[in-house]
Amino acid sequence: MSKPGHNNFTVKFANVNGTGSSSANGMFMRSIFRMGIPVVGKNYFPSNIQGLPTWYEIRVSDKGYLAPSGTVHIMIAMNAQTYAEDLASVEPGGYLVYDSSWPRKELMTRDDVTVLGVPLAKMCNEKFDTARSRTLMKNTAYVGVLAALLDMDVSVIEQLLLDTFGAKKHLIEANKTALDMGYDYALENFKCPLSFRAKSSNKTDGHIIIDGNATAALGCIFAGATVGSWYPITPSTSLMDAFSGYCQSLRKDKETGKNNYSIIQAEDELAAIGMALGAGWNGARSFTPTSGPGISLMGEFLGFGYYSEIPTVVFDVQRTGPSTGMPTRTQQCDIMACAYASHGDTKHVCLYPANPEEAFYLSTEAFNLAEQLQTPVFVLSDLDIGMNDWMIKDLEWEDGYVPNRGKVLGKEELDNMENFYRYLDVDGDGIPYRTIPGRHPKGAYFTRGSGHNKLGGYTEDAAEYQDVVDRLLIKWETAKSLVPQPEVSYSKKNKMGIISIGSCNDAIREARDVMKKNGQSLNYLRVKAFPFSDKIEKFISQHEKVFVIEQNRDGQLHNMLITETDADSRKLESLRFYNGIPIFSKDIVKQIEDSINSGKAA
Amino acid sequence: MSYIKKPKIIRDNESRNKLGMTVTDYEGVMSTLCAGCGHDSITGAIIQTVFDLNIEPHRLIKLSGIGCSSKTPAYFASQSHGFNSVHGRMPSVATGAHSANSELFCIGVSGDGDTLSIGMGQFTHAIRRNLNMLYVIENNGVYGLTKGQFSASADVGSTAKKGAANLQIPIDPCQVAISIGATFVARSFSGDKEQLVPLLKAGMMHRGFAMLDVISPCVTFNDHEGSTKSYLSTRETKREALYTDYVEPFTVIEVDYDQGSSIEVDLHEGGKVILRKAEKEFSPLNKSDSIRMIRESADAGEMLTGLLYIDENQPDFTEVENTVRKPLNEVPFDDLCPGSKSLAALQKNYK
Amino acid sequence: MRFSVLDWFKDEKGKLTSKKINDVVIPCDTVILAIGQENSFPWVERDIGLEFDQWEVPVVDSVTYESTIQGVFFGGDAAFGPQNIIEAVEHGHQAAISIHKYCEKESLTDRLEYGMNLITAKMGIHEWSYSNDYGYENRFEVPTVPMNERFKDINIEVELGFEPGQFQEEVERCLNCDIQTDFAANLCIECDACIDICPVNCLMITDNDDEDNLRKKIKTPADNLEQDLFVSEDLPQTGRVMLKDEDVCIHCGLCAERCPTAAWDMKKFTLKVPYALDEANAIDVNATKKAV
Repeated sequence: MSKPGHNNFTVKFANVNGTGSSSANGMFMRSIFRMGIPVVGKNYFPSNIQGLPTWYEIRVSDKGYLAPSGTVHIMIAMNAQTYAEDLASVEPGGYLVYDSSWPRKELMTRDDVTVLGVPLAKMCNEKFDTARSRTLMKNTAYVGVLAALLDMDVSVIEQLLLDTFGAKKHLIEANKTALDMGYDYALENFKCPLSFRAKSSNKTDGHIIIDGNATAALGCIFAGATVGSWYPITPSTSLMDAFSGYCQSLRKDKETGKNNYSIIQAEDELAAIGMALGAGWNGARSFTPTSGPGISLMGEFLGFGYYSEIPTVVFDVQRTGPSTGMPTRTQQCDIMACAYASHGDTKHVCLYPANPEEAFYLSTEAFNLAEQLQTPVFVLSDLDIGMNDWMIKDLEWEDGYVPNRGKVLGKEELDNMENFYRYLDVDGDGIPYRTIPGRHPKGAYFTRGSGHNKLGGYTEDAAEYQDVVDRLLIKWETAKSLVPQPEVSYSKKNKMGIISIGSCNDAIREARDVMKKNGQSLNYLRVKAFPFSDKIEKFISQHEKVFVIEQNRDGQLHNMLITETDADSRKLESLRFYNGIPIFSKDIVKQIEDSINSGKAA
Repeated sequence: MSYIKKPKIIRDNESRNKLGMTVTDYEGVMSTLCAGCGHDSITGAIIQTVFDLNIEPHRLIKLSGIGCSSKTPAYFASQSHGFNSVHGRMPSVATGAHSANSELFCIGVSGDGDTLSIGMGQFTHAIRRNLNMLYVIENNGVYGLTKGQFSASADVGSTAKKGAANLQIPIDPCQVAISIGATFVARSFSGDKEQLVPLLKAGMMHRGFAMLDVISPCVTFNDHEGSTKSYLSTRETKREALYTDYVEPFTVIEVDYDQGSSIEVDLHEGGKVILRKAEKEFSPLNKSDSIRMIRESADAGEMLTGLLYIDENQPDFTEVENTVRKPLNEVPFDDLCPGSKSLAALQKNYK
Repeated sequence: MRFSVLDWFKDEKGKLTSKKINDVVIPCDTVILAIGQENSFPWVERDIGLEFDQWEVPVVDSVTYESTIQGVFFGGDAAFGPQNIIEAVEHGHQAAISIHKYCEKESLTDRLEYGMNLITAKMGIHEWSYSNDYGYENRFEVPTVPMNERFKDINIEVELGFEPGQFQEEVERCLNCDIQTDFAANLCIECDACIDICPVNCLMITDNDDEDNLRKKIKTPADNLEQDLFVSEDLPQTGRVMLKDEDVCIHCGLCAERCPTAAWDMKKFTLKVPYALDEANAIDVNATKKAV
């Protein structure tokens, strides 16, 4: 999609971190959305609070593709430090807007790019009093410039200002002034509109713009989670921020005004998972959001939770590794780390949402699964899903929803029971019954990560130990039938397929459309959970070639498909994207077509 | 054979608490610690405490980390829920469990390694949160389960069994706790139940984090001559700063306490402590006093014991967090899930 | 069978005397006399130097069993009136010693003393050379042949004895009176392990005091005043004392199992009774005790 068209173009904003650009960029994006045009925003920001370069990319896509396009049609180059790089990234025939208050060197121009200078700083310095407002209003002014260039519906932007700032009249006024300033300057000095524009449409009805950390947090709220423990870590921090925000309005006790929730900012991730397990053990729905380094720290406790069978939900909003990696860049590099987190024979139930919409539904599902299966359940989101603004369908909720609390013995059951044994597989599904502390004198048992027998007693006996770890495998089989099934798009005609996971989904959707147009249709299976469904093995067996697409260097999903299924590994070809930027569909197309053309594919 | 379980014999004149239970009813499985371990005495004192306080066993949760000390929750209150967590991480589990239901009594049992080395972080943060729990450190100065390495509480000059002296400065949990804002700090000795049991009771009835550092000699690796945490050495250096009596609620106090030399503190969860001053002028209501007294004693080669600091006026974790008092794990789902209308309404903000 | 109902009282000299109140007749088919009632000696001449007491039985020395005639010994019912057979056997033993000494022309009163022996029953950390399990069962009745069966044949044994399982449980009820808790105060480090583990709460370490107060200081008070309270010597570390209420001890040995210094031990008690042969071989039974 290199050529822009009406409602099909990408605008990239190059800013300096800490200048308040994100609200202006968001304003632009939301205005497009309100005009009924599908849009998505990708934030490429530094691990920094102030001073380093930051980019925001807004893709306007009539077809509603939500992956980044990998091309730039309009560059808003507000950062002198990255100007050269920004200019170089513009597509031939594209535009670059820069702050011409101080002229840039002639060298920094391109013949195939139209460079539009707007004296943003100069205009704002003349108009606004304080240093902060001058900086901020520069941003709003370039939105005005864009509105003129793209022939946007200005009334939509004005309404947005009213909705955003509400009672803060002076802010509405200031923004309006800056907006008009940019708009008028563009009209007067440039040929407006450009050859491609934003034309009002109706394709965003029934949709919202939201990030996946917010929807995951909403999932926690709606699933009835009451205890959230965490240690701040990018990119998961905003999940707890969102949860906390929703709690303020949705989780106050009607009579006392006190909190129907407990958010605990822990001293580290080791404590965060300990708290989540403690709360889960004591009958609350609990969760902890973190990212890769946090998962590493939680390792010991995660094995404890698996072996002692305590429900809780862990959100891993993945970022690049290894080690600290690039904290503000996305990857799917914890797939194996989560699946097998902790020493000893452990494996965990993992869910893989593809976007913020699924982050909501899988979040609620995770709480059910955790309690049904009495084990920690992972939701593996990533920075792209968690922190970027996606356009998704309105979230829906069925009011008859009853949470599945799993096998928890109530008062009557315990009354009628001779003896309660915590780890006895009464039903043959590998899931024992549990009790909640404080509720019944007969319910007491001892929870431990050391060897225990099926009755809950400490053991160092070979057979007794093995009995319990073998039963956990029966539970694992039960888990297979309870976790969400993969999403499959299959046609008998196609001999090749793609297996992928999580946030690769939108780039793959777009890539498949492109390849179909090019005469090469591929089937598609998206893994939504571990343990793997039998459908995955079946899908591989139905194809001559399956491309496994994921965002990490080592092909972790690919490896797990080989070790965890009986599928023919020779059919699998691993395609990996791991530079920290969300996948571009064009890169997928290229790699698959190269593979086919080189004869590697069947 | 009796090592599998202790005979259960209820005598006619056996004392029973208000729930009609005997002390035996609060026991756990047989200890697998070394014979003569101080920890077993502390277990005995805890059993006496929960018996005397008439605590319904199922309303008590008992948690621990890893190590000899952390095995002990299995040895008391077998009708209570137990949680033997990972090394040094019990406070976080207690925090989570407490968040889910703040109405339960919570005892955490830890050791000097579990608290002062691997668990130092979580220990201090549980104090910082003023988590409503009784935290008992069974402090013997050595790592028992790994056969006798010095722990962070070993005194300078104290010798190991084979003779090598410890050269590193010890961490005193009491000084640490007071300095970072603990609201109940006491020290005692496993071999002195007359002192220990009232302190345990007061700690249980204190609202907030009650820390009890109990010197608990390791008979196998640290009870020799040259050890400063042996039975003999502890008895020689132990000095009681205050005599502590715990008085149950609605009890008529029969003993005459001298107003001038005794301090009464009402405890939030019920009852009160009466502190009778020992030889020196000392108020456990003043942080600086407490730390100074502890340091002066240490300098004089003594170990100060008793209730060293108490502050009943600090809000506990639940109060600070403004959490509902009723257990969160019992809030009806309808009160937690906002429903479809709310979801639709809040999504307007994302249009 | 006619019985006389007697009232027993002490006369002015403090001697136990009886006075008949009335007679009771119990009808019987057969009367079997099971005691040595027939111990009158009308056939012994009263002038040979043998003194008789008021009951017309010979006056016998209670240590040597010698009568007032040197070299003539009495034992059993003939000596002290009706007693049981166990005592009669003992009389025989003692008389035999006297006879031996008389023949050897030794002093009859210079006799070997009764002795005893305490040997530890400890085999390992948890193992004892006696069954220390506590039997919770009530006493079993020994099964017997039904009444109507018993009379069919004079040779029928009435008591059938226990079944093997019952027998084991009945044996387990034994409180092992021969196993003594033996305390060495000098070894005690006052760790409280014994007090904590005792299933009958019969131990306590406390400051020494009047007996009345000490009895109250045990967790479950020692309220059987007929049973002496055990009070140890002063303990080395604090000078307090160890108390034990023997009245309720079940000799389970847990105090000794949990004692790190073996201050408490479970010891098997053996009574050493000297016999004529021991006197003959001049074995001092106490010599073994001293060697322990």
